[in-house]
Amino acid sequence: MMKDTLFSLLTPFGPSGQEGPIAAAIAEMIRPHADELRTDAMGNLIAVRHGPGKRIMFCAHMDQIGYIVLDADKEGFLRVSNVGGVNPASAGFRHVVFQNGVTGVIACEPLADDKPGIEKLYIDVGADSREKALEIAPIGTMAVIAHQASQMGDHVAAPYMDDRAACAVLVELLKALGKPKHEIIAVFTVQEEVGVRGATTAAYSVQPDFGLAIDVTPAGGVPKCDPPLPAKVGKGPAVKVKDSGSISTPVVRDGLVAAAKRAGIAFQYEVLPYGGTDARAIMVSRGGVPSGTLSIPCRYVHSPVETVSVRDMEECVRLLKVWAEEIVE
Amino acid sequence: MLLKELTACRGVSGSEGEIRARLKALAEERGGVCTVDRMGNLIARKDGGDASAPHVLLAAHMDEVGLIVTGVRDDGLLRYKPVGGIDPRVMVSKPVLLGDGRVPGVIGAKAIHLQSEADRDRVLDHDQLYIDIGAKAKAEAEKLCPPGTYAVFDSPPESFGEGMVVSRALDDRIGCLTLLSALSHGYRGHMICAFTVQEEVGLRGAKVLGHYLEHDLVIVLETTAANDVGDVPFEKQVCGVKKGVVISHMDATSIAHPRLRSVMESIAASAGIPHQPKRYLSGGNDAGALQRAGEAKPAVVLSVPCRYIHSPASVAAEMDIQAQADLTNAFLDALPTAWAEICK
Amino acid sequence: MTDLSAFLRKITALRGLSGDEGPVAQAVFEAFLPLCGEVTVNAMSSVIGRMGKAGPRVMITAHLDEIGLMATVMEEDGAIRFTRVGGVDPRILPGSRVWVYTEEGPMTGVIGAMPPHLLRAEERKKNYEMAALYVDMGLPASRVTALVHPGTPIALHGPLKTLENRRCAAKTIDDRGGVAVMLRVAELLQQRELPAQVFFVAASQEEVGGMGAETAAYALEPDFGIAIDVTHGEMPGCEPDDVYPLDKVVLTEGPNIHPILHKHLMDLAAKHRVDAVTSICPRVTWTDAASLQIARAGVPTALVEIPLKYMHTTVETVSMDVLDEAARLIAAFIVGLDAGWEGLTCF
Repeated sequence: MMKDTLFSLLTPFGPSGQEGPIAAAIAEMIRPHADELRTDAMGNLIAVRHGPGKRIMFCAHMDQIGYIVLDADKEGFLRVSNVGGVNPASAGFRHVVFQNGVTGVIACEPLADDKPGIEKLYIDVGADSREKALEIAPIGTMAVIAHQASQMGDHVAAPYMDDRAACAVLVELLKALGKPKHEIIAVFTVQEEVGVRGATTAAYSVQPDFGLAIDVTPAGGVPKCDPPLPAKVGKGPAVKVKDSGSISTPVVRDGLVAAAKRAGIAFQYEVLPYGGTDARAIMVSRGGVPSGTLSIPCRYVHSPVETVSVRDMEECVRLLKVWAEEIVE
Repeated sequence: MLLKELTACRGVSGSEGEIRARLKALAEERGGVCTVDRMGNLIARKDGGDASAPHVLLAAHMDEVGLIVTGVRDDGLLRYKPVGGIDPRVMVSKPVLLGDGRVPGVIGAKAIHLQSEADRDRVLDHDQLYIDIGAKAKAEAEKLCPPGTYAVFDSPPESFGEGMVVSRALDDRIGCLTLLSALSHGYRGHMICAFTVQEEVGLRGAKVLGHYLEHDLVIVLETTAANDVGDVPFEKQVCGVKKGVVISHMDATSIAHPRLRSVMESIAASAGIPHQPKRYLSGGNDAGALQRAGEAKPAVVLSVPCRYIHSPASVAAEMDIQAQADLTNAFLDALPTAWAEICK
Repeated sequence: MTDLSAFLRKITALRGLSGDEGPVAQAVFEAFLPLCGEVTVNAMSSVIGRMGKAGPRVMITAHLDEIGLMATVMEEDGAIRFTRVGGVDPRILPGSRVWVYTEEGPMTGVIGAMPPHLLRAEERKKNYEMAALYVDMGLPASRVTALVHPGTPIALHGPLKTLENRRCAAKTIDDRGGVAVMLRVAELLQQRELPAQVFFVAASQEEVGGMGAETAAYALEPDFGIAIDVTHGEMPGCEPDDVYPLDKVVLTEGPNIHPILHKHLMDLAAKHRVDAVTSICPRVTWTDAASLQIARAGVPTALVEIPLKYMHTTVETVSMDVLDEAARLIAAFIVGLDAGWEGLTCF
């Protein structure tokens, strides 16, 4: 069930560079559905379903944005830097959690007229000295936003829909795939949030004929959306045309549209005037790979209340199954 | 001392010939078998004979930031652009040396007696500054220093204070020095020392290495900016001079392989080598390119804290430079047995 | 020999925004077919034409993509908001005519903005923000939403005009002018036994990151790379070091360019009386020479540039004579490669 899969994947720890726990959780889930499962030196989880025909590389990134402990001051407050694209202006005053389960809060110094910045944030773990703070969270450990979810009918809000919702779609796709027409490689990538790094090396070793990234995309249709964005939550899977990382190769983009039409799936086109996905990394690998992205529309991306539609996610699975089994030549 | 010899050589990004030739000779003296590739990277290999030990790549960049002449004015002043990132605020009133012939020049600006209040507040950008070689007119200047001539700061190395050294180009001749030390020290298996080019203009030299080197892991030897004096708030200091070699968790271009990094830290601890983490994340280096060109490789960066980096007068501590070399050599000794732990 | 201004007039008008180069790639494919032993269009929509059977592998590249706009959101009144594809200068947009590549083919639109007499005085002193502009197709909203979706490409009108002194002005001479140079090189090399294997690559997506040249270089593994692109021609108000006389071929020097290759091209220019000057670039050049130089284990790379006034507008102006001269120089380089070619690649 999509919702159960989603909730199982929202909670395991996995900031960029420390994806061990989420990789293990996903590996357990997909083991019965893969012919081969391996991990590379950066931690990418690679699942293979053998088949004749072309090699299709799907990817969804496992890593989360978060914080890394740099030191603690003598009063016991941990100083941090960001792992991936944290917006310092809205990062303060949240619950955070470390890999070992220890919880704390991230707070922000008073700004007055200053601009927000990562160096104004700090994590409070209830310690009263540097030694105690570093015992609880040593230098180099990472923290992520603590999990809390709201269910609003078909919509669900929680931290890290980016990109655990896509991981859920990819897990469900592996379960849904039938007799193989092509070889399917499902890569749960690492370090997307710091520069699509996992996908770069995974694409190099997988050498696919087609690349398909599954990621969330910021949705429009919310008050004062600036710049205006076309994708809307609840209006179906979004076929990405362009973002700042890549322009989807026409054969892949058109193939996704053809799959949607064949299966009678309501879909949308989306264009983002910023951002990027793992598709860019696959596209420039070696001699070039036709690639694209199927996006899950998501409100409030990179906030603790990322909101998606479960039905949009289910439709993504249906669309990708038809694409892989009936459209790709 | 050897660091002084290395900083005396010229090697602005794109014109590394002189430092490359010196490093080649020094590497060969230490048993390195040398080749130069199509980007100009210098590769020195040394094999200890044990084929079961992992192939280790040690990398340091031999290029430095500098200037390049872009044009000549009618009055004989030279226009220039920086090669690599140089804050324009460090340029005024500095001497430079131009070309292989080391023609002396100076970068001046309007004298203070003639400056208005507004003049004094304004930052002069590179395109408002010129190099003066004393020529009277264009033809003379063009003959000596035509467009395309590379210039370095005239700032030779000097020991000062208690155990400190000031020079241009500490970034990254310090790393090159550590590579030479590793070649002398030796390694049981196959060691590749890569002296890369063009790090300062976009990690260019390192980007091609991944395509033909067959290493199992990479250690990058660098310098990193230390911002620890002048009443700087705690969280902006980055790291401290005389606190040891920096073993960082991450920077702008890479996240260190966790087990490699922690093995490195344990070796430093048990060998009593002073070391520290980085307290503010900034800066990029060749590790990003070397970790990810082709198949993924475990990577870690060892840096020497350096104040006023990318200026004519960068400063580092001799003990930190020594710590970088000591840790690298101790790691090489431990690597054959530590490899299993790293790969887990 | 092809009339290059006629060729340029044709290809600068063809559809081919970065990432959507299919139509212009097809035309370039057809132009190179009679000249090359083998021509293909690859999965990235780059066109690759090959001549010569043996000798060093030389990749010559010019990019065929153009900058333009892309529809994002359709307003309730039919106005189309857009984003840029590549570095379009927003200052050129108000009042421009465009082609909207709809589901039913190309249709004309006009870029509109709030009329000046409705702006406050201080707002008139600033340039329009792109977010305040829109494309007006003169159609009711219901028709617009049937014809246009987010992602629909929108190209600027910019048909070629012939000026005095064999100069031409059009959009997208950056870098279809370079493609014309490549065509001329291929013509000059006809009917000869070549000392090299030459790969002409009309590369895609240079304006959005250079992926076309990057992936082509990986696949071709060249021994030499020559990128052909444009640089700034003399215009008022510019720094003297940043602009070049319109009638000179420009050869770049700097860390992105192999120094021996640069010198060799300058020597060839002198020998063959090609009027060439050097430009200094202290950083990575913003051309396909950047990705060429670091492809695989590295490629000795040179950059040949055509001075062009008013870059990234719809009246980009060049001298047609310089296109011929640049082609002559590159052909001389190829024909002059001999057994000692490796000497050009060393350090």
